[in-house]
Amino acid sequence: MVTEVALTVDLAIIVLSATLAGFVAKRTGQPTIIAYILAGVVIGPAALGIVEVSELTDLLSELGLAFLLFLLGIKMRLEEVQHVLSPIVKISIPQMAAIFLAGMGVALALPPFGLVESVIIGLAVMYSSTAVVIKMLNDKDEATSLHGKIDVGVLLIQDIVVVIILAVLAAGQPDDLAEVATTLAVVLVLVAIITVAAIGASRSVLPTVFRRIADDKEVFFLVAIAWAFLFVFVSDNVNLFLEPFGIEAYLSIEMGAFMAGLALAQLPYSKELQDRVNPLTDLFVMVFFVSVALDLEAAQLLAHWQEAIIAGLVLMPVKFLVFFYLIDWQGFDSETTFLGSINMIQVSEFGIIVTAVAFEGGFIPAEVLGFMTLLAIFTMSVSVYFVEFNHALYERFEPTINRWTGDDEFEGGKREYRDHAVVIGYDEVTKNALPLLADHYEDVVVVDRTVEHIDTLEEKGYDAIFGDFRNATIRKDAAVKKADFLLSSSVEPVVNEALLRDADEDAMVFVEAKRIEHARALYDSGAHCVIMPPFLAADRLADYLRVYLEEEADTLEEAIDSDVELLETPDPFPDTYDRLGGGLDE
Amino acid sequence: MSELLTAVSILFIVAGPFLLVASRFDLPMVPALVLSGFVAGAIIDADPLLELAYYGIALLVFTWAARIDLTAIRTVIVDGELAALGQILVVGSIGAGFGLALGVSPTDTVYLGIAAALSSTIVGTALLQRGIDVNLVRGRLAQSIHFVQDLIAIVAVLLLGAGTLEAGYVGPALAGGAALLLAAVLVNRYLFDVIGQLAGDSDELMILGVVALLALFVGAAEFAGISVVVGAFAAGLAIRHDPIEYLGLFNGLQSIRDFFVAIFFVTIGALVVFPFVELGWAASVEKLLLAGGLVVLAAVVKPAVTTAILIYRGHEARSATLASLNTDQVSEFALIIAIQALMLGALSQSVFDAIILAAAVTMVTSSLTHRYSEEIYRMLADRGVITGSHDRIEKWSDVPDDIADHVVIVGYGRQGRKLAETCEELGHPYVVIENDPVHREAVTSECEAAVVGDAMEDYTWEMANVDEARLVVSTVDSQPVSRRILSLDVSADVTLRAGDRTTALELVDAGALYVGHPDLLAGQQLATQIRAVLDGDLTREELRNRQRSELERHADHIPRHLQ
Repeated sequence: MVTEVALTVDLAIIVLSATLAGFVAKRTGQPTIIAYILAGVVIGPAALGIVEVSELTDLLSELGLAFLLFLLGIKMRLEEVQHVLSPIVKISIPQMAAIFLAGMGVALALPPFGLVESVIIGLAVMYSSTAVVIKMLNDKDEATSLHGKIDVGVLLIQDIVVVIILAVLAAGQPDDLAEVATTLAVVLVLVAIITVAAIGASRSVLPTVFRRIADDKEVFFLVAIAWAFLFVFVSDNVNLFLEPFGIEAYLSIEMGAFMAGLALAQLPYSKELQDRVNPLTDLFVMVFFVSVALDLEAAQLLAHWQEAIIAGLVLMPVKFLVFFYLIDWQGFDSETTFLGSINMIQVSEFGIIVTAVAFEGGFIPAEVLGFMTLLAIFTMSVSVYFVEFNHALYERFEPTINRWTGDDEFEGGKREYRDHAVVIGYDEVTKNALPLLADHYEDVVVVDRTVEHIDTLEEKGYDAIFGDFRNATIRKDAAVKKADFLLSSSVEPVVNEALLRDADEDAMVFVEAKRIEHARALYDSGAHCVIMPPFLAADRLADYLRVYLEEEADTLEEAIDSDVELLETPDPFPDTYDRLGGGLDE
Repeated sequence: MSELLTAVSILFIVAGPFLLVASRFDLPMVPALVLSGFVAGAIIDADPLLELAYYGIALLVFTWAARIDLTAIRTVIVDGELAALGQILVVGSIGAGFGLALGVSPTDTVYLGIAAALSSTIVGTALLQRGIDVNLVRGRLAQSIHFVQDLIAIVAVLLLGAGTLEAGYVGPALAGGAALLLAAVLVNRYLFDVIGQLAGDSDELMILGVVALLALFVGAAEFAGISVVVGAFAAGLAIRHDPIEYLGLFNGLQSIRDFFVAIFFVTIGALVVFPFVELGWAASVEKLLLAGGLVVLAAVVKPAVTTAILIYRGHEARSATLASLNTDQVSEFALIIAIQALMLGALSQSVFDAIILAAAVTMVTSSLTHRYSEEIYRMLADRGVITGSHDRIEKWSDVPDDIADHVVIVGYGRQGRKLAETCEELGHPYVVIENDPVHREAVTSECEAAVVGDAMEDYTWEMANVDEARLVVSTVDSQPVSRRILSLDVSADVTLRAGDRTTALELVDAGALYVGHPDLLAGQQLATQIRAVLDGDLTREELRNRQRSELERHADHIPRHLQ
């Protein structure tokens, strides 16, 4: 028999404190990540001690990382990433080796740490924070920029390395190098298999399945989530599948989630999905950041606080320089090099996990774990500011930076819409307008939420975006703010008001409405023309009735024929119509 | 990775294929999730998921309350559609009586009654949105009925929060509920916009702020010892706001809701102790009997009672039947009430299981009856099971006996009214056919001749003297009505209305003189105007002014409720 459930207070406190901290951060212009981490420190055992880690908060923070990577995967279109693949491998491997040595060196130089501890610390500081970098890239909408792609690629390779190191550490003291090599080989094979599975699915099953359900908003979203969980589950339980073969290996759920997302990114419906997954990710990632500091007592956390700060102050510039040198070496331009490096200077949450596993394996005492947590929190917090203001920093130091970088240019970046036409909804109303707009504008972008319409539009050579116009990403993608002409065939005031709010002052806006009060409001908001089909139809019908009753049979017949012809071949300008229609209207 | 993450993963992995199948056959999502719960329940233990499921409930009620149209309450009362109350009483009592007859404990019978009486909002409204226009009488009726039921459900949740109806609980519970609602009103008025300002342009913070608000209300409800559902409801009312300003917020909440609500429905399925598989024969038979009885009550008795009440209230038979067929399922609110009672130990496992099974079954059957509603009505009407009374049509209708060579106008909306005016201007006789009781007074007082009846019924056409008519103009965008008019064996010309081009062409081929398709006309007008502006024949301001004065011209001579 089940027992009574009470909703735990813990999550409510987490949400409340994060909200308050978030508001303060927003007011003072600080990044929200800092607010969340600090909220965690305040409510956690280190300060007030009113919240403890529970199974639920654990779940949500795990989901936070998984969803963050899933979302990232959804944004990665293979054809856009392929060209940076090789440089990423060449950057990440030497980078980790260099930072490992630097981290170990710093630890050895600090009095409290011995050799084993220093090696573990070295292994733990090699990675940059997936959570911080990707969250910041997402927030700044830079995940698919060139430096974004480099960072994401490096983070993923680091992720694979973390998985390998965790596998080795979890197995206890390795007997010999051969064992490490086997683990490495198995993990790499697993990563290869899961990649092939994801890409294979995105080329075979997924297009058919998602095409069928894409029109159904909720089912579409939930099936995509189910797909993500399938990969999360398999990655997480890969050990169970391999056990019968006597192989021990692990994959991270983040890796699985990323691959699941990557498979979906290759479908034309991924934009819509991004918008649906985003809010959920924000919520879960918030829990993740708050719970970073929830694990530790103040005594453990602060045991080596001076050392943590010193290590942080040394490691951040070292990381920056290593990345800067390597990215530049791969021939990227100075801006990409600078931005790609400055983003990656922090110590990762994986560092904490690696140390935690090492602590459980008996390699190190709890104080080292506290040191690592503090180091991660400290470097993450500092780095957030560098990421936040990376462009300003670049502009400030551009001449100096240029002196140190090569002149190479690595191609990248995508074309953006400007002074184009945006059409929302492809239907009987807008269909006729498209050729006119295409004659007049270089780009005509059509936003629609029906798979079939998207297919038709693409066949006809228009730029089609699948998605709901209410979603911010979709509006951004269609570059509504830069459009010169906007046309909406939605009769929902919400959609049209959103359109008018985003529209440029000089843009021409045509919208549709069903009710007079809506039409009035739309004119007040700046619409130039509100089309009202029911009223048009009523007028037309009344005209025809008049002619019919006045027995002008010929005129009527011709007019009706022309309407029927319009039904059959929807040509907006049948020659006969102007004459007859004009006659009827008078 | 925690056990919980494994459980959630399995839950979604199992749900995926069920959703695909449901989508393939155009069935609603909720029963698919509950059914997948039956399977998931065999693999995982549902208990750890309960807390997540509760967040699902809270978010479901929360987002629902946030979208309630408070003005609808007035409309419902004005329309006299409180008939829904009568239906709840009748079906609820039958449900409770059925429980007693089967020897179920008295508290359990209360829940059986509730499960039988309430209909689903999500399933019901989703069907409405997909299938028919709420502008039609039956759509509006069904919506009002659901709405009244949902409000009653909230009261039921509040009252049954302790699992008993003891006087010592009810008083404070009502007081607590009232206090929460008051808080909601205050928050809505004073605090909500402050949150908006604090969040600035960040959707993330706005969503977080609103979730925090939800947590506060739910916490307050728990503290006051009343159901979290009531807290979530109040929180929803507190954030009621024009969605335009906070588009990101309402979109984001929907994603979060969908995620947790899916967990809720699957978990509820997983909680069912399945007959025969996990139970002995005797217990299984009892459970199936209960579930079967509930299915009959919800899917047959409830629509029948509703139809009877609606016909009694003056709706004609077809609209009443079609509206009632939208109520032939067990409500998700019944599920919420049931799971809450089960957790409190107030509801026995077998009655709980019966309710869940019945809900899953009726949600599926309901989507089928909705799909074939017109056929079901035809069948019932042809066999004489449902008869609208002709007396009333006669009483309300006013058609001169000698009318001939007239125009029959079907529907008295914007188009119908305009057509009637045109006839009057030309001095040509006409008859308006209208089936919405709300428009009855307008039709009978404004029109020279009118029949208040359904265009699907022979008698209506007889009254309109269609045999002698010259022209039938239908302004109703409904395929069955259009087909019915074309099948009339009369000499009059017929013009119809269609919602899409294919239907329009089919109707022209089937013999209509003309088929109006508003979107096509709109498309034409749009193209003309865009061309004029792009070619420079017309400036933007000229266009704007012209369109605006056109709009005001319409506004001047069209009555308010049709604008």
